Amino acid sequence: MKKKMYQILGMFLLIMGGTLSQVYAQNSGGLDSTVLDRLNALEQQANYQKPGNDHFMVAGLTTFGFAASKTTNTVGGISSISKTNSFPDADHYEFSPMFLWRHGNKFLLEFEPSFNNNGLSVNWADVSYFALPNLIIRAGYLVLPFGTYAKREAAGWIDKLATDPMGIADMTPTDYGVEVEGGLPLGSMKLNYDVAVSNGSQLLSDGTLTSGNIVDNNNNKTVTARIGWLPFSNSSLELGVSGMFGKVGDLGSPYQNATGNMYAFDLNYVKTFHPILLNIKAQYNIQNITNENYVNPNDSTQNYSFNNHTTAGFVQCSIRPTEANNFLKNFEIAGRYTSYNLPGNSTFGSDQHSVTVGLDYWLTWRTVVKATYEAYTGNSTASKLLGAYNGTTNTNTFYLQFSIQL
Amino acid sequence: MKRYLSLHTITLALVIVFVITAIASINGCAPTKAVAAKSGAQLWAENCQRCHNTPSPASFSAEQWETIGMHMQTRALITQAEREKIVDFLKSSR
Repeated sequence: MKKKMYQILGMFLLIMGGTLSQVYAQNSGGLDSTVLDRLNALEQQANYQKPGNDHFMVAGLTTFGFAASKTTNTVGGISSISKTNSFPDADHYEFSPMFLWRHGNKFLLEFEPSFNNNGLSVNWADVSYFALPNLIIRAGYLVLPFGTYAKREAAGWIDKLATDPMGIADMTPTDYGVEVEGGLPLGSMKLNYDVAVSNGSQLLSDGTLTSGNIVDNNNNKTVTARIGWLPFSNSSLELGVSGMFGKVGDLGSPYQNATGNMYAFDLNYVKTFHPILLNIKAQYNIQNITNENYVNPNDSTQNYSFNNHTTAGFVQCSIRPTEANNFLKNFEIAGRYTSYNLPGNSTFGSDQHSVTVGLDYWLTWRTVVKATYEAYTGNSTASKLLGAYNGTTNTNTFYLQFSIQL
Repeated sequence: MKRYLSLHTITLALVIVFVITAIASINGCAPTKAVAAKSGAQLWAENCQRCHNTPSPASFSAEQWETIGMHMQTRALITQAEREKIVDFLKSSR
């Protein structure tokens, strides 16, 4: 009897075990299916978002502001005063989207059109090939490696003051050419190099230069080169020297042998000295064009000549607190002295100086509101014989500028 | 003309002095161990602020940082190793 009961109990357990295992299998099978479906969906989603070889993005910047100025012009002891104020000119209104297109990890296309001065222009348009770890080859419409201001510091969301230092960016051409550049580690220091060959600048009939000609005006290429040296391991100091050499006269013109030799020296020092961040920038440009005979604009039968020597330089210092509350840490004060001397006895000669001070408030790391005051003095050294002399000009300008990078 | 030659000579001399000083001060064309050991965060803090404020890692996507890293290498002429470390740091800190 006992044996029979054990047999019945055994059979019951077997049946229950089979039933339970089937129920469990069904349940677990359902769970697996849900997880698998979810995994498949995630995998598909990840595949859609998986980076490809190419990547395209739009960055860029815009600058907007207000400027109010008072100008006193004195000629022959007689002064005249004029006042202006206008939107949106805080030195330069600019809306410049920058298109970056990366093809794999070797090619980068950069294109920055710009709406400024009531018109459209192009800041740069080039293709870079990252040939070796520290060798980049570029071609296209390039900002030439002459000093550092135009290439690195001029953007409104980078510059600490609302205005550009006179002459500095103007003396850095953007031109069609090819460029080789890179940065090199050198023990605890670094070097960087940048060499460009371009069509070169063109000498105009008044002795000034223009650039960016798509057809070379003299079939003689201009070489521009800069070497930068960072002597400290923390990269706080960079010293640079640049040169630009080439013929500038039109082929077949009276100036066809005219050459332009330009030099630039730049300094950049950024370091934290608690409780402040100190930022010093400086650049000095020299431009020499061989002496030529130009046609007198008032009498085409007469020629005139002058020493075509131009200099431009600035020193800028800014300070930002590093140890303060979040509100105070966003303030930055800046000051700059600029000198710009254009050749005397020409039609445009002048000795110009400006002192610029400013207070900035950084809304984010790339968004700034600037209040800038600039006092400018210009003494004409233009030729009185050419009727170009216009005395002394003093201008005081207040700028309020907003700039953002996106 | 003498003035031009003199400026030319000064520039050339400065370039030579820079290069010789650089080469004479080091043992080779490679970073020291201390420099090579720098983290992406340290390089980000040191190099970006040379021109502009240090960027927030959250400002761009990982893909965008790759592209911006290449753009910044052409502008600031940081080394390739620096760029890679800085971009890795920015991507991982988002």
